[in-house]
Amino acid sequence: MSKKDNEKFDITIKSPTRDLFAFTKIVPQRKKRIEKASSEPITSDPMNELASILHPKRQYLVIDEIRDETKSTKTFKLIPDLDSNTKELAYFRAGQYLSLKVKVNEVAITRPYSISSSPTDALNGFYEITIRKTDDGFLTPYIWNNWKVGTKIISSDPAGHFYYDNLRDLKNIIGIGGGSGITPFRSMAKEIAEGKLDIKLTIIYGSSEEDDIIFYEELKQLEKKHPDKIKVVIVLSCEEVTLEGCEQGFITADIIKKYVNIDTSSFFICGPQIMYDFVDKEISKFNLPLKRIRKELYGEVKDVLNLPNFPKEIAEKTFKVKVHIGNQTKEIPAVATETLLVAMERANLAPPSICRSGECGLCRSLLINGDLYVSPINDGRREADKKFNFFHPCSSYPITDLEIKIPRSI
Amino acid sequence: MIEQIAEQQHSDFYDAVIIGAGNGGLVAAATLAMKGAKILLLERHNLPGGFATSFKRGRFEFETSLHELCDYGPPSDKGSVRDLFEDRLGLDAEFVEVPEAFRLILTDPQEEINVRMPFGFDNFLDAIEKEVPGCRTSVKRFFDLGEDILSAINYIGKTKGNPDQNVLLKEHANFLKTAAYTLDDVQQALEIPEKARKILNAYWVYLGIPTSRLNFTIYTLMEYLYILRKAHIPKKRSHEYTTALDAKIRECGGKIEYNTKVEKILVENGKVVGVETSNGDKIKTNHVVCNASPTLAYNILIHPKSEVPEIAYKQVNARRHAIAGFVVYMGLDTTAEELGLKDYSYFIYDNMNTEELYDSLNKLEKPRVQASICLNNAIPDCSPPGTCIISITSAFQPEAWKDVKPEEYFKLKNKIAEYLIETFEKATGASIREHIEEIEVASPQTFAHYTGTYNGIMYGYEQDPWDSFLARLMTMYDEKYIDGLEFCGGFAGRGHGYGATLKDGETAGLLTLQDLIKKGELK
Repeated sequence: MSKKDNEKFDITIKSPTRDLFAFTKIVPQRKKRIEKASSEPITSDPMNELASILHPKRQYLVIDEIRDETKSTKTFKLIPDLDSNTKELAYFRAGQYLSLKVKVNEVAITRPYSISSSPTDALNGFYEITIRKTDDGFLTPYIWNNWKVGTKIISSDPAGHFYYDNLRDLKNIIGIGGGSGITPFRSMAKEIAEGKLDIKLTIIYGSSEEDDIIFYEELKQLEKKHPDKIKVVIVLSCEEVTLEGCEQGFITADIIKKYVNIDTSSFFICGPQIMYDFVDKEISKFNLPLKRIRKELYGEVKDVLNLPNFPKEIAEKTFKVKVHIGNQTKEIPAVATETLLVAMERANLAPPSICRSGECGLCRSLLINGDLYVSPINDGRREADKKFNFFHPCSSYPITDLEIKIPRSI
Repeated sequence: MIEQIAEQQHSDFYDAVIIGAGNGGLVAAATLAMKGAKILLLERHNLPGGFATSFKRGRFEFETSLHELCDYGPPSDKGSVRDLFEDRLGLDAEFVEVPEAFRLILTDPQEEINVRMPFGFDNFLDAIEKEVPGCRTSVKRFFDLGEDILSAINYIGKTKGNPDQNVLLKEHANFLKTAAYTLDDVQQALEIPEKARKILNAYWVYLGIPTSRLNFTIYTLMEYLYILRKAHIPKKRSHEYTTALDAKIRECGGKIEYNTKVEKILVENGKVVGVETSNGDKIKTNHVVCNASPTLAYNILIHPKSEVPEIAYKQVNARRHAIAGFVVYMGLDTTAEELGLKDYSYFIYDNMNTEELYDSLNKLEKPRVQASICLNNAIPDCSPPGTCIISITSAFQPEAWKDVKPEEYFKLKNKIAEYLIETFEKATGASIREHIEEIEVASPQTFAHYTGTYNGIMYGYEQDPWDSFLARLMTMYDEKYIDGLEFCGGFAGRGHGYGATLKDGETAGLLTLQDLIKKGELK
């Protein structure tokens, strides 16, 4: 379009003089408005205040009670540490987790734990987390030896996306749990029992020993009280099953089909990596769209050697990593089969981390020199981050000496 | 627990410190670093971009807030943003053209508008004439005024803000004569038929105030530039160009620290002398470019309080804080084609009574305003084969949310999201609900959480004629209350659009540079 095609026109709104005059009055009028305004400072910012309640940077907690759930499992009841600024607990959605920051023998690490209590419990001043001891683990033996009533713990805000969403999920939820992966389903079941979560939950819970079923009595009680809303199926993999009403073996498609209508249900799966490997194959028999299957994260990949294209020839190697943080530079060792997050934690240089599964991006760092292996099963990088050499240390492994810049703690 | 150790903290002297890595802060930092200034860019979040970023859920990567970048332009007719990115900053980022200007659907039964408007003036005029026979001449005059505004602004730019009054009067009278008026005032004077005005004003939600208050100049310039140079979006979401800016800043020797929130801008005798951060950094500098709003700078950041002049509080209080966004992001397990969605940008309103629509943003009920995009209709491979990404944006006055309790919050935002999805489905005929594989809902609280923007506000200050970008630019020197402090970002001079904030970043960088040179501070 060109004005030259037409005659040039002159706009008139009120009159040519008044229109030009109006222009000359813009600045004086602005000055007058500013002069007339209040000089009171603004002190309220409701949306940032709500944000700090829903997403506190840190929650300072203290252990109020420790309960033995089974021979291998304890529940820790956490309340606000009254000596800190944490006065109330952040609300959450049943299924979310807390990332705890713990110092173990002078090494500071983080671990995500699903909240096993209900969201309403948070309003009433407590969270519960339920932990199973693994004898060869790094953290849990420490916890068993050291955590007592009164021990102070620092936590993130509630995190993760493993929760029922009424806009996405069907109202019948099949919760497949393995081992300590039962914890988010206890939170959901409690919320259903409180009348605050309107779903029907069928928990299919795989356990290896009869006397080590977490929340067995409690879940059975909830099922009894709310038979229309909660159903619990225990699947025991031990040779001999004496417990009544249990399935024996592993969680197969046949067992699942026996208890639920697949066509009207959404799957939620939480458990150890080995359970996913098995259950994935079984559920694939149903040919469901991805939207009907949600999986909780399971932390760092345990057997990196078996991941596709992992350069096995360097598996035994230890590399030098030059780490820049803030104004400081440090050189640390990193073994090829451990994530860079773990290498940095060993050197007490940990960048912030929450999910440890490649997803949340909190540990996002810059690769300046060298080469990495990124686990293809938990590569949560943004497209542009791949292009500009940003990576998530919790899902990345060194395959040469490296130079990296990591974010500071928050 | 993992406390910041002293060796990690910054304590050097910097030529300039940039607060916030939003669009403005990033460009300001890059501009200064490229000219050799020693700069430090501090960002509270762990990513660059502020609102201009992306996030992942499952197999989808969502664009956070950008719908259409204005004045980027095709290679053959570069706009000011492409000039900035390609010629002056040399950024490694790819942009693609959006297929159409917009589809406007009005849902009230008595309204009869469901129209797809194309880019290019001839196409646009043909389409609007077809909808509203007889409107062509008056609508063309509207765009002629857009051309006059652009030419006046280019002239003022060339004179570096010191235009010859006679040239302005002689050559740019239409620009002068309309600048003090609202969009309604001028469209009435042009005698544009009501139905044509409804179509022409479809973009009003991008500025977020009723057309009876909205400055004519800013709206008309924006629409003129969209139709002239089309809209563009980044190929790999906004995170691509914001990360490219991060890379450029580092390449030029600039330093960036994420997870670092500035708590204080230190001022002595009316001059900036340094900043302090939540990580314990104590940095000396005489220049701060502030991507945070004047609202936050004057009320929170400047220390001591006695250094904030009364007039600064008044300036903030005189202005109207604008609306905050509400966005429903969805990854669907079906394609746009299967859904029958052909367009990229959908404006869906009850009607075009913008005063009434604006008032409705103050209530937590069924939204009457939405601007929605189907990303795959501009970038077909933005999500895996067989899927697509749809985002529905509405807005609220943040005050509407102030009494919401945490335990009500999640259900409430899903309820509003559900209304928006229903409206979208009804208006477009596409059934999306059953295909939602991933969904995330962002409210004003969410934007406050990630960017720290005052009250979750996305749109800065409202652009009534007295506080339009023109009024701000004409008073920018008079209203500079702290020596060494420049503003950029959505609350700064040009306002909140992506193009505006990017260009304001450059201006703030250049003004700082000029000051550094003038004072002999640049080595």
